[in-house]
Amino acid sequence: MKTLVKLEITRALRNRKFMFFSVIYPPALYLIIAGGADGGNMPGLDIDVALYYMVAMAAFGAMTAVLMGNSERIAKEREQGWVRQLRLTALPGRGYVTAKIASAATVSLPSILLVLLTAALVKGVRLDAWQWAAIALCSWAGSFVFAALGVAIGYLATGDAVRPITMLFYFGLAFLGGLWMPMSSLPDWVQNVGEWLPTHAYTALGQAVEVGEAPHLKDAGLLLGYLVVFAGAAAWFYRKDTRKA
Amino acid sequence: MSSSRTTTPAVEFTSASKTYGSFRALSGLTVSLHPGETVALLGPNGAGKSTSLDLLLGLRNPDPGGTVRLFGTSPRQAVTDGRVGAMLQSGGLMDGVKVRELVALACDLHPRAHPVDRVLADAGLTGIADRMVGKLSGGQEQRVRFALATAGASDLIVLDEPTTGMDVTARQTFWSAMRAQAAQGRTVLFATHYLEEADEVADRVLVLHRGSLLADGSAADIKAMAGTRRVGFTLEALPDARLEAALRALPAVTGADLSGSAVRLRSADADATVHALYGLGLYPRDLEVTGLGLEQAFLTLTQRAEEAGGHTEGPAAPDTGTGHPGPVDKREDKRENKKAATA
Repeated sequence: MKTLVKLEITRALRNRKFMFFSVIYPPALYLIIAGGADGGNMPGLDIDVALYYMVAMAAFGAMTAVLMGNSERIAKEREQGWVRQLRLTALPGRGYVTAKIASAATVSLPSILLVLLTAALVKGVRLDAWQWAAIALCSWAGSFVFAALGVAIGYLATGDAVRPITMLFYFGLAFLGGLWMPMSSLPDWVQNVGEWLPTHAYTALGQAVEVGEAPHLKDAGLLLGYLVVFAGAAAWFYRKDTRKA
Repeated sequence: MSSSRTTTPAVEFTSASKTYGSFRALSGLTVSLHPGETVALLGPNGAGKSTSLDLLLGLRNPDPGGTVRLFGTSPRQAVTDGRVGAMLQSGGLMDGVKVRELVALACDLHPRAHPVDRVLADAGLTGIADRMVGKLSGGQEQRVRFALATAGASDLIVLDEPTTGMDVTARQTFWSAMRAQAAQGRTVLFATHYLEEADEVADRVLVLHRGSLLADGSAADIKAMAGTRRVGFTLEALPDARLEAALRALPAVTGADLSGSAVRLRSADADATVHALYGLGLYPRDLEVTGLGLEQAFLTLTQRAEEAGGHTEGPAAPDTGTGHPGPVDKREDKRENKKAATA
């Protein structure tokens, strides 16, 4: 199982094109959204725009890379029959999911670090050392949840259906979870739903750190719950996949 | 352990069926393979070969009522225990990795793995171990699949169309590697389109047709079941239409092929045919009676089943599968096929 994890990471690093765009995209988006704003707080919040979007875009970028990367790649591997071959080995479902999360995490870490670096260098965001470390760590660990979701989607959908289904989860979760604009500017019912979504919990971790607090236990617990559910579902789908695809 | 291995079949299908929607891919297959056997699985496209292998490997489950057991346990358990190595026809390979890395992965995942270098050498991959998997030729890919199937000391090796895409030399190398596996006491089951491979390599041949077991025996048994031999000779003069009709009407003749004065007859009973041939008052030269290859025997059997099956869903053959020449012999052919004497 260790060999598979290592091999998946090696493959991710060798896939230069995917790596390049996954890493470049979040800081670019950050500059476009937060670039025009000079100083000033987010409407209705006590957080600087540059700082708010730093956490949101680190999360959004990481989520993009792992969700899209995993679901499409896995659907393709199922089509090519590689997963069938893999299922003829003693590899347990959790080993497969672990390897896929590891390879996704390889891509998401540099993209997160690059967003933080851009915020510090270009937008002059200043934080304590522990806050930088905590935000990087929360953004990275939180991306595992979406990597697991990506594996599960890769099993639910096949071929042409993968992309639209991934998009649905992707935009739905990003919008409702407040990644694009603060939740407080959304209608009440959206806020009520959004509060329980993994995307909200994901950014809430980093936002707590931004204002100098420790991440809230509720958010961490919620994310952990989602990770267990998504990874469990993914492992189950992998084992039970009897369609040829 | 050894006592259980001698008594427990390596593979045991019991009334295993598989239906996809309204299509019955496999109907009530009952057959056992014994440890150490090398078994070829033959059948026309759509006969149920791939479905049988999928059930055997636990990639699909049989319809309720049927079971598939490997070494007395479920296919999944046998795979987890490292008792099965398989080479799938449709088995895609991981891309973005080197040959050695992929083989090392297979070895890592096998509970009773061989050293990576040995697996590479046995599969003839040592020279291309550092090449990227995505850049291999079809034959080289097949060798990688073979390496994945033989990464550890599995008791059963399952191969689906293993030599597709290989040239003649590669094919010979492949089968000598396979024979070495069989010589170590492994059970080998392979599906193939190349019947000479079944003839040369297998101790036992299973013929599937429309999801049922049509024949089960050695290659010689199968040829005998088909009951065909070739009678070839040359006539002194070109045959006219009347003579040609007379030749076709000879007893036990199931087919005739005339080109100029050279005649080749297919016969279910060569003795009767030759006897009657002289009875026509002919003096055939260069008379030759030869047994047919497995390929013709296979074609004869499946065609016969096709005709006998007619409009019904599957062949009328009973799926007793209890042992040898069963199903086929019992079926009386319209062509009054007498059982040919075999050498």
